[in-house]
Amino acid sequence: MNTVVAVDYAFAVEYTGPPIPYEIPQAIPIEIERIPVATVAAAASLPDHLLLPVVQPLPSPDPLKKPPPPPSEHAVSSPTSVIENHIAPDGELSGEVESSGAVVFCSELKGSPDSADGKHERISMESALSYDFGFRSSASVENEFADDDDDDEDDDGVFTSPVRRGGVSFRDSAESSGAASSGVGVEYQVRDEEYDRTVKKGACYRCLKGTRFTEKEACLVCDVKYCSSCVLRAMGSMPEGRKCVSCIGSPIDESKRERLGKSSRMLKRLLSSLEVEQVMKAEKYCEANQLRPEDICVNGKPLTQEEVVLLQRCPCPPLKLKPGYYWYDKVSGFWGKVRFFLFEDVFYSIFSKSLVGHKPDKIISPNLNVGGSIMCNASNGNTGVLINGREITKVELQMLKWAGVQCAGNPHFWVNADGTYQEEGQKNIKGQIWGRTRTKLFCSFLSLPVPSKAVNACGEEVNVMLNRAVHDYIEQRTTQRLLLFGNHGSGSSILFKQAKFLYKSVPFSEDEIENIKLMIQTNIYSYLGILLEAREFFEAEHLVQKRNSLFYDSSSSSELVMNEHATVMPYSISPRLKAFSDSVLEAIASGNLEAIFPASTREHAPLIEELWNDSAIQATYSRKTEIQVLSSVACYFLDQVVEISRVDYEPSKLDILYAERMTSTNGLASMDFLFPQYEFERNDLSEQDSLLRYQLIRLHTQGLGENLKWLDIFEDAQLGIFCIAASDYDEFYENANGEIVNRMMESKKHFEGIVSHPACQKLDFLLILNKFDLLEQKVEKSPLTVCDWFDNFNPVISLHRPNKQSRSAQNCATLAQTAFHYIAVKFKRLFYSLTGNKLFVTMANVLDSDSADAALRYARDILRWKEERPAPNDEMCSTDHSSYSH
Amino acid sequence: MSVAELKERHVAATATVNSLRERLKEKRRLLLDTDVATYARNHGKTAITFCPTDLVCCRTLQGHTGKVYSLDWTQERNRIVSASQDGRFIVWNALTSQKTHATKLPCAYVMTCAFSPNGQSVACGGLDSACSIFNLNSPVDRDENIPASRILTGHKGYVSCCQYVPDQESRLVTSSGDQTCGLWDVTTGQRISVFGGEFPSGHTSDVLSVSVNTSNTNMFVSGSCDATARLWDIRIASRAVRTYYGHAGDVNTVKFFPDGQRFGSGSDDGTCRLFDMRTGHQLQTYGQQHGENEDIPSVKSIAFSMSGRLLFAGYSNGDCHVWDTLMAEVVLNLGSLHNSHEGTISCLGLSSDGSALCTGSYDKKLKIWAFGGHREVI
Repeated sequence: MNTVVAVDYAFAVEYTGPPIPYEIPQAIPIEIERIPVATVAAAASLPDHLLLPVVQPLPSPDPLKKPPPPPSEHAVSSPTSVIENHIAPDGELSGEVESSGAVVFCSELKGSPDSADGKHERISMESALSYDFGFRSSASVENEFADDDDDDEDDDGVFTSPVRRGGVSFRDSAESSGAASSGVGVEYQVRDEEYDRTVKKGACYRCLKGTRFTEKEACLVCDVKYCSSCVLRAMGSMPEGRKCVSCIGSPIDESKRERLGKSSRMLKRLLSSLEVEQVMKAEKYCEANQLRPEDICVNGKPLTQEEVVLLQRCPCPPLKLKPGYYWYDKVSGFWGKVRFFLFEDVFYSIFSKSLVGHKPDKIISPNLNVGGSIMCNASNGNTGVLINGREITKVELQMLKWAGVQCAGNPHFWVNADGTYQEEGQKNIKGQIWGRTRTKLFCSFLSLPVPSKAVNACGEEVNVMLNRAVHDYIEQRTTQRLLLFGNHGSGSSILFKQAKFLYKSVPFSEDEIENIKLMIQTNIYSYLGILLEAREFFEAEHLVQKRNSLFYDSSSSSELVMNEHATVMPYSISPRLKAFSDSVLEAIASGNLEAIFPASTREHAPLIEELWNDSAIQATYSRKTEIQVLSSVACYFLDQVVEISRVDYEPSKLDILYAERMTSTNGLASMDFLFPQYEFERNDLSEQDSLLRYQLIRLHTQGLGENLKWLDIFEDAQLGIFCIAASDYDEFYENANGEIVNRMMESKKHFEGIVSHPACQKLDFLLILNKFDLLEQKVEKSPLTVCDWFDNFNPVISLHRPNKQSRSAQNCATLAQTAFHYIAVKFKRLFYSLTGNKLFVTMANVLDSDSADAALRYARDILRWKEERPAPNDEMCSTDHSSYSH
Repeated sequence: MSVAELKERHVAATATVNSLRERLKEKRRLLLDTDVATYARNHGKTAITFCPTDLVCCRTLQGHTGKVYSLDWTQERNRIVSASQDGRFIVWNALTSQKTHATKLPCAYVMTCAFSPNGQSVACGGLDSACSIFNLNSPVDRDENIPASRILTGHKGYVSCCQYVPDQESRLVTSSGDQTCGLWDVTTGQRISVFGGEFPSGHTSDVLSVSVNTSNTNMFVSGSCDATARLWDIRIASRAVRTYYGHAGDVNTVKFFPDGQRFGSGSDDGTCRLFDMRTGHQLQTYGQQHGENEDIPSVKSIAFSMSGRLLFAGYSNGDCHVWDTLMAEVVLNLGSLHNSHEGTISCLGLSSDGSALCTGSYDKKLKIWAFGGHREVI
């Protein structure tokens, strides 16, 4: 404990300056037995050599009584207070509640600070040389002062008897009175040697009462013990389990690791079972109490956080992992502790030769990627027989012999996790070590480990385990957050779904698929609605045309009426279908489509089939290019409307990707994932990188409000990904105010809004120009200058003069690529003018899973560069096509 | 009638409405010859004096690993629920300062939490646009989390605030980023009514806060990013009873005055205001002068003391002012006390008997403040 104190609280620095002219005040060493005791009217007997002002104790009826009886008067504070009601039973505190006529001694007791310096062990008073004592009534003062017989007036800094510590904390007046009136929240930092000496052995460190037989709870860090009436105050809300308030955040004493999560009877008595459960959970899982990864060395290499997680989460983890050195055979899963030979070990090994070496302690899951590679001398064997490159110990050799393995001539074996073994350089498996039951018997005889059942899991399963959620307490730190922004139709939801398909073994749960199915089925009605509306329009149009033509053709109106009934109208439908069509349109108009239709899919399915096969609808659908509002997505779904409307419809992967909107609520969607490693990446990625968890959070710009009130929630995100459809430049829509707006300009507005938001200041941004394939198709027909923002786009296709914008691509770039670079530069400049930072841009077509994967991996690369980058503004070179500089 | 003609009429109507609104404002200004503080001063009232030790931090609730966004007390005054950006809500025992429940939420981005009147269930809402109801008595699942007993979906934007109707166990009022408020039946999971939205008298921007009147539980007030607060009658969803103008920034928080005839609001413009429910007048502004280039801290959360004499306001700069509502003076700043929060005070609430104040902050902690000494609870 002394060492802890010295490290944490040392504040005295050796004086190295010029000699000082005045005399340094010195603290006089005191013998504890001869401490002058303040007694009534004994002020004159103070020794002359004391330099410090001494407060004259006030007369007390019984000055020598010790320790003082706890003041019996109760708290005078608000009778209804939650707090007071609770602590009322703790009598010894309530006496110190502040009353308004407070007598306040403010730092009058402060003497020469050096005296405390001299008193070496006072350091833990955390520089509290000038604290205020807020003493309430004179009565309590006299009481306390009179009892100061075990304290000395000399070191005024700690001029308190331990008893008073219970009520007054050494912070400042605000807190001390807080502690006094409520008795809670006193932050205890006082633990000095002298103090210890005054604490009776076995007494509570806080109230100094009790014997070694009283039940006490010890701090996991500093081992200070508190009795039941003090423990809650000293340990507060126990966010990390049983630790003093001042110890929160410090790693625990390793010897107490086994006690983690094991509640004591006292705690159970003090707190409700639910509370105890929560404390124990926190104690067990909180980050500060976890094994520090650097304390564990496997095969001579300290572990990282992820490796420890991996080790503890594997199906067959090493038991009771403690700091130390271990060896681990990745192929067979043998796990052993490297014991350092102390004197007694050597002594012992003289008698028992077989104990030389570090035999395996356990067979854990094989193929875990932890620590370095195994050395020949990992287990310090001396038998000459090698298993998986490790020289085995005598015990193991003995076991092998008993298991019937031929060990003549120091063979080198390869032992697999399932116990099969083969000789080095040979293909055929020679046998199974665990094949005979008696092997296991021998093993237990030699106290060697035997494989547990779960160990036979193969390597793939380890990766599955990796994908399993790590415990929440650890999860927080290792996750990198990527924010995905995007307007409706920008493909951000498709990118999100692609990520799910790419990185998740089960992309969508059954519930989610059911939801998506419902959504598609709801959407199909709205698409149909568009079609039906178009049909009505075409019908009317056709009628007008016909009437006009008839008007010119024939002279008699009666003939016209007759004709109208007789001719087959290409866009008319039967009354039954008409009724259905009307009901659909009505539902869309009233906006409660979702409430009505998917619920009655079963009844409508045949109707829809009939409707779809109707010639009128087909005729309308054949003119789909004329219907502006009918998007390509709508056409995709309409093509298979009959299947979709069936009850047993199951959305295909493409259907899920195409489905508009992720959820029906415009809410945020998030997924945790790991980038699976590719073969070619293995070399340039460190192990740690490959284990980084990412969280992709898709934010719906429309759904989350215009004013971005919520954005400060994501302050700790690492990267913003903004999706914009590159093909939007020539698309327009009507906004709520009836203005025609270019979609690209709309996206630009959103981009500006998000990028300039204060919460995004530290964020790097990646712009994904999506739908590059569509851009390629349309850029030839419809010039980029349709959008006002791109009005100075002058590609160099026909003219052969160098163009500044397309310098890197001038020779081979297609018009679409030039357009992409132009748009990218536009956005980069915009971003630079808004934030002064560099924007990363990439092109993608997220419907293609490879393209989506590439875009997300590019995002990861940006994050990795960010870590390597010395300054945020540094221009960095990247090999990617998008590092087109401005 | 042609479209052009319609548009013309619309423009004209908008202009009329605006001019009428201006006239209304002018009229109000003329009628409102005094405010609470001036009146109280003329009657010789003086501000309450507080010494820094009268309100002291007596508990620190540690255990969240993210910014605390919301808290609520139970009616039986000893339990607190808090929701944080670490994606969990924690139920605390305010007396022992221990946790009794901690549960990971289905969506980590939680913005609000509320206790049901009987204290047996908790409602949480956030960026997932849904409000999840957790029954604290239901058994925990494999990961020791309480499964959501019901998820209220229907909002088209984030759920910014929720509060149970005090005397009805199954009614929940929510506010959302889709510019509406909602009334829900928790037992069936159905939305009973939507306030605002397509109705013309609804909020025109994200609704950030709701507060249900405790004396007449049919009324609730909502505060929004459109810088207004609106009063609603639960029985009449079609229109707002009244709209209160005055703030110059987003209204982050609204809270009913204990007598139910007034309500307070806090805004991004750095002020709190007190509005009279019946007349629609703004009674008092609680704000401090700020320099030209100073960043004005926005008010994040407010609460009234039992009597209404004190207004506690948490600010984005970590201050927590105690205003004397009569004199419009800051009588105490909890942010200046020794062991105060180190970050924005995001939420605060008074226990139902008024004896303790709990504040939650971005510094991941909650603190309980109680009146020290022989100070009466006011």
